[in-house]
Amino acid sequence: MQIIKSDVVVVGGGGAGLRAAIAAAESDPGLSISLISKVVPMRSHTVAAEGGSAGVIRDDDSLDQHFADTVSGGDWLCDQDAVEYFVEHCTEEMIQLEHWGCPWSRQEDGQINVRFFGGMKVQRTWFASDKSGFHLLHTLFQTSLKYPAIERYDEFFVADLLVEKGHVRGVLAIEIATGAFFLFECKAVILCTGGAARVYSQNTNAGIVTGDGMGIAYRQGVALRDMEFVQYHPTALPGTGILITEGCRGEGAILTNKHGYRYLQDYGLGPLDPWPRPKAMELGPRDRLSQAFWHEEQNGNTIDTPQGRVVHLDLRHLGAQRIHERLPLITEIARTFVGVDPLTQPIPVRPAVHYTMGGIACNRWTETTLPGLYAAGECSSVGIHGANRLGSNSLSEIVVFGKVAGERAAAYVREIADNDSRSIRQQANDSAARLLALLERTSGERVATLRHALGASMETGIGIFREASGMRATCDTLAELRQRYRAGVKLDDHSRAFNTEWLSVIELGFMLEVAEAMAHSAAQRQESRGAHMRLDDYQNRDDERYLAHSLARHGGDGPPTIDYAPVTITRSPPETRHYGGDGQRAELT
Amino acid sequence: MSRFQSTAKTYVRPMSGWWLKTPYFFLYMIREGSAVFLTLYALVLLTGLGCLAWSPSAYEAWRGLLDTRLSLGFHVIALLIVAYHSLTWFQVMPKTAPKLPFDSRLIVRGALATSAGLSLLILAVLWWVA
Amino acid sequence: MSDATPSRTIKIECLRYDPETDDKPRFQRYQVPFTDDMSVLQGLQYIKDHLDGSLTFRWSCRMAICGSCGKMINGVPQLSCHTFLREYYPRTVRIEPLNHFPVIRDLVVDQSRFLDHLETVKPYLIPKDDQPLAAGARRQTPAQMDRYYQYSQCINCLLCYAACPQFGLNPDFTGPAALALLHRYNADSRDQGWRARREVINAEDGVWSCTLVGYCSEVCPQGVDPAHAINQNKVNSTLDYFGILNLLLPKGDKT
Repeated sequence: MQIIKSDVVVVGGGGAGLRAAIAAAESDPGLSISLISKVVPMRSHTVAAEGGSAGVIRDDDSLDQHFADTVSGGDWLCDQDAVEYFVEHCTEEMIQLEHWGCPWSRQEDGQINVRFFGGMKVQRTWFASDKSGFHLLHTLFQTSLKYPAIERYDEFFVADLLVEKGHVRGVLAIEIATGAFFLFECKAVILCTGGAARVYSQNTNAGIVTGDGMGIAYRQGVALRDMEFVQYHPTALPGTGILITEGCRGEGAILTNKHGYRYLQDYGLGPLDPWPRPKAMELGPRDRLSQAFWHEEQNGNTIDTPQGRVVHLDLRHLGAQRIHERLPLITEIARTFVGVDPLTQPIPVRPAVHYTMGGIACNRWTETTLPGLYAAGECSSVGIHGANRLGSNSLSEIVVFGKVAGERAAAYVREIADNDSRSIRQQANDSAARLLALLERTSGERVATLRHALGASMETGIGIFREASGMRATCDTLAELRQRYRAGVKLDDHSRAFNTEWLSVIELGFMLEVAEAMAHSAAQRQESRGAHMRLDDYQNRDDERYLAHSLARHGGDGPPTIDYAPVTITRSPPETRHYGGDGQRAELT
Repeated sequence: MSRFQSTAKTYVRPMSGWWLKTPYFFLYMIREGSAVFLTLYALVLLTGLGCLAWSPSAYEAWRGLLDTRLSLGFHVIALLIVAYHSLTWFQVMPKTAPKLPFDSRLIVRGALATSAGLSLLILAVLWWVA
Repeated sequence: MSDATPSRTIKIECLRYDPETDDKPRFQRYQVPFTDDMSVLQGLQYIKDHLDGSLTFRWSCRMAICGSCGKMINGVPQLSCHTFLREYYPRTVRIEPLNHFPVIRDLVVDQSRFLDHLETVKPYLIPKDDQPLAAGARRQTPAQMDRYYQYSQCINCLLCYAACPQFGLNPDFTGPAALALLHRYNADSRDQGWRARREVINAEDGVWSCTLVGYCSEVCPQGVDPAHAINQNKVNSTLDYFGILNLLLPKGDKT
């Protein structure tokens, strides 16, 4: 086993990982930083973010308003100290990206332009056409090339976290090209591995979003927090789940059902006029819009297609020029994948799983309960999204908290002594032996069989609306799938060279456990809040009992244990969420 | 930034015959090969010029050589290939220009029109002289 | 949109190579049931899930933005998520790894050459003046953005390298995508890196290795037009050689 020694290991080369690595390198150029990613960094799923990134910039906006929108959007499950820190630092990170060359879209006079997004009272979403994540990621990746302290390990799969005497001391990784094991000995690890939406069958996510980082931290005893809150994005293509950005609605697109009726007015988001106005109708938050779709589907108001039931996202009234300038990727995607020209036809859309609000529990400094372990980005639960994330807060999150994680880890490793690495090496060898055993299996079920069963079960039981019996059934199915997984997954491929089938088995192990955390957290939350909506006896929010973060702890081969921790409230006591209603007509910029 | 260099064994596919593998590459090779005919034609003209300077009989002999089937055949092929060369040359012309505020195909069309116009003008002058 | 139940079967032929057991590649053929809305990538995923788990290929976003899934599809470099099986039926679809790169395994190529070249072009902003964040975002008009925006669309999918015989013949050639990104920064009004990047442009393996085949721009899925980026810089490189470029550059860029 090859051994690499470094001070800080960053796992994941998406926006958060790159920002963390740069921050660590800037705070101490003498550090050695290993950036390990299972894909070359610019392939990371940040690349697929479309709409934009929040940061207060307009004169009629304020940090207080961004705070209020985020906390009410999260149905008061946000840690308000983290939200305060977040809104205070979004704009400077957007400016930092501008200084690094990010081609943010501009107004005619050369100033930054911002667009509306769902649940946001004022235009504060910085955007780069409808490829905001792509530009953000490539800007960060290309900028990271400037820093000699960052050593990159592209296409290395991190399979385990190594802990000694209560401190993180390394990670075990597989070099994908050769299948060789590498032990990275280090003093701090920053997990930036993204979400876990691939545990659902209908999702907007890339194939790599399999919750690996959540899984390795969870197995080491770190709690996964608020995992029941899984965001369905209201507008994805049927069949593939490919994302159609909320930016469409930010630019003025409307949603209609099969009668051509703007149905959102029936679900607490109306009245229709004046349109557009913020936080109303199509500019409502994602949880409400996805829930409205579910009702329309139940009421038979959706449109049947071979790929599933849809509603229409209509851009036609925006005009060709605005569509081409602001939404070129969407136009291309609609033409290619559903054969629809948004200039002349509405785009068929339906909700698909998009984002995991929960994740590795950490404080607002990205520190987990395991010394030396930090988490940032979608894999983490830093506490800013609560029960429902507002669109455009996640791109901001990855840079704001990626930077915090990099700086914190850099400071931490200066304080900590070197370690006698014998026990770590023994752990690494044991872990490698377990992984190799997976590679050698020649009998059992196919990995796809288990993965498909997982996705279907999560859709049925832990979907947009939930009830006790369905959630219980999914918990049971997951326990059974884990049992079948332990009994053995059969591989066709036993080569060590670029064996993606082997990796998919390891990923499936993480997915099953992370899904179990989601399902059990959901089953135990006896209330409805944000993205966790119940149809049974618990249809209302219950602040008495559940104004609390759920914490799922790994239960070995058995189910997780769930307990609760208080939510930090600094200045905004829980209120009723309010969307729609009266308001001024807004000018789209 | 540095990057870990893998020692993975790889297979390098041979490049032999690459220009036969897609029509695009084949046409590119014709474009490049057309330079041979341009050179030959220039040599023929240069020889004529040399003969003219040498003596009237040499010049007449050179003209006699032009008036053969072989020579006529060569000239027809050279004309076609040079026309193709010019076309491809115009087609790639916008790639060497800075980013323009109009459709780059206008450059191609403009160049084609100009060259067609000039050719006709030369023909007309020759006709008038003859 | 089509019926979602497959009624037809298409033949997909894939290059196979396992460095542990093979000296050279071979082809393997699969029968794949498909619907009209299935991409070539979905065809490969069907094979991996149901027929042969050992078939190896890269993919990720499924929506032509991550740049992972480029392959030679019937001899043409394309993104497999963005190419549809219906376009080939009833012919056989023949899938090979991207040309001009060494093969690691099956349809997976070694991208390290490109990553090395990318690093040499210094693909990051070399600003005119180091402004503090407190100074806010710099201004850049849409017209100024327009000068580089197209070149910033590169997703690093490497189709252009697979379309470039000069890169195939000489892997030291910096190549289309990296040179397009070089130009993306040089053309940015906020950048003054011409001096830092001139050596790469002027080098034998820089723009002068390009013979304007032009196929790179044809296959680019994002309309980057790398051939245009490179050939503008042949002009710049010539002007630089004769010392004229210095007179034309904006003040901050002068050497």
